[in-house]
Amino acid sequence: MISASGLGKSYGAQRVLDGLDFRIERGERVALLGPNGAGKTTLFRCLLSLTDFEGDLRVDGEAVTQRCKEVRRKIGYVPQTAPPYDMTLAEFVAFFASLRGASVDGPADLLAGLGMPLGQTGDKALAELSGGMVQKALLALALGSGSSVLLLDEPTANLDPGSRRDLFRAVRDLTEDVTLLFASHRLDEIEVLADRVLVLHDAELAFDGTLDELWRTTDAAPRLWLAVPDGKVDRVAAELRECPAVAGLRANGAGVEVDVRGTSSLDVLVEVRRRGLPVGEFRTRPPSLELVLDQLSSCRASRSGVDLPPKEVGQ
Amino acid sequence: MTVRLLAQAGVRDSLRAYWFWLNAGIFVAGGLLLMLFGQVDVTLLGYRSYGRALAGLMQLALFVVPLMALLSAGAAISGARETGALDYLLAQPVTRGEVFAGKWLGVVSAVVASLVVGYGVTGAVAAAKGVPALPIAMLLLFTIVLAAAFVSIGLWVSARTSTRGRATSVVFTLWLAFLALGSLGLMAAFVRWGLPAGLLEIWSLVNPVEAFRLAMIALLETDPGLFGPAGASLLGRLGRAGLIAAASGSLVLWTAVAYWAGRRAFMSAE
Repeated sequence: MISASGLGKSYGAQRVLDGLDFRIERGERVALLGPNGAGKTTLFRCLLSLTDFEGDLRVDGEAVTQRCKEVRRKIGYVPQTAPPYDMTLAEFVAFFASLRGASVDGPADLLAGLGMPLGQTGDKALAELSGGMVQKALLALALGSGSSVLLLDEPTANLDPGSRRDLFRAVRDLTEDVTLLFASHRLDEIEVLADRVLVLHDAELAFDGTLDELWRTTDAAPRLWLAVPDGKVDRVAAELRECPAVAGLRANGAGVEVDVRGTSSLDVLVEVRRRGLPVGEFRTRPPSLELVLDQLSSCRASRSGVDLPPKEVGQ
Repeated sequence: MTVRLLAQAGVRDSLRAYWFWLNAGIFVAGGLLLMLFGQVDVTLLGYRSYGRALAGLMQLALFVVPLMALLSAGAAISGARETGALDYLLAQPVTRGEVFAGKWLGVVSAVVASLVVGYGVTGAVAAAKGVPALPIAMLLLFTIVLAAAFVSIGLWVSARTSTRGRATSVVFTLWLAFLALGSLGLMAAFVRWGLPAGLLEIWSLVNPVEAFRLAMIALLETDPGLFGPAGASLLGRLGRAGLIAAASGSLVLWTAVAYWAGRRAFMSAE
């Protein structure tokens, strides 16, 4: 569905994408992971033919630069921030649906399903809507006008937690038959939505695989939060430090956060049960992006024979 | 289809903008005032009464229309680029060529609409007072061509600038330059540097503001003294019809060349 070969892009002297090769099959849900400035948005701009680039980039076998109009018809795009059009929601939906050669019915139906029927919200100016509502409108527009590929460029970056949850639920529910490529630097979102992860780092494709493979490659295990009753935190922490499945831990008054050794937090939970530790509840948390990227860099450097100095890793 | 949709969106935006109503208001108010004074039964410098009013309207158009066209076209692309709206638009199944054509058509349509409102009211009052409609229609037609030329110039600037503020300052400078390089400023420069008269004639046709002025004076058949030295020389050399054709050609050429250059800049922009 999407294929890139030798994809490269520079802004002046700065290399933003360097020789990217990847392939995304129809219906795959792929997360594009990387720190700010890693080239995620630039990759989207290349796919939409908004910028020139080196190499070959195709959607459905069609080169994006040669058949940009046809390719864009297949792609629904939701940017990080809402485009500031001086229109009402109904005008906005009607205008962009027409530009896409689609009826307004598809986006309108999706909006109704998302709790924003045009009959009630259509008269409101885009500027009056919350960020989450506008992102939902963009999503409905992208999917309701027949796109087979959905590009989401950090769509939740500027949303509050509630809107973020709503939007992600909508994306998860509405994109079953769609090829999804979404940029994020939130590992919790990726865990829920993605079949596969592409990691961009230092302009290169640093990783291409599943999330589990990423944890294994980087040895960046998930974190486990254990709630512990008052006064028993020290005992729990001391006992867990002896467990082979625990790589490290931090304790505070309310509980203990454990860095899990390996990829499964189950071993730690089994140990908690076996030792009869007083744990009230638990939550798993993905490792921090910073840790993952740092370890990925170390892995790649060691594979290429470069000696890296020891480095403090922040959480 | 796509160009029409984009142009309609441009017109809708313009109808919400203050400049559209300001432009129409200036022409309605100016036209009515001039028509009122134009009816005074005085013959001066060869004017017929309505001819004076039309010449006044022409002077109004000379100042206002290029500025309105430049300001609105100057913001059309650069403003959308600055806010990110252009990227979202270009992410849809449209080509850059269609977007440029749509923007041009949208701004021209809006300017024309405001002129039609302005001249229309003036024309209705004039017709009620027995003034022939043809000169007003010709003035409207030539003002539209003038507007089209300056919309093309404004969009060219807009395609080459990254922010609305920068585009506005460039088009404002251009407006001043075109006005300052009109007959009087130009003549002073030529006298100061002793340039050949032929060059002054060519420049009078090349400057779109001056070309419009010469075409309108020739069309309205007012006092030949209003042509100025370069215009009078051109009138003698080309005749009235030739001067009108040459000046009109200059405006059309400005429209086409600036459109082509702007489109080219927009097609190659990131």
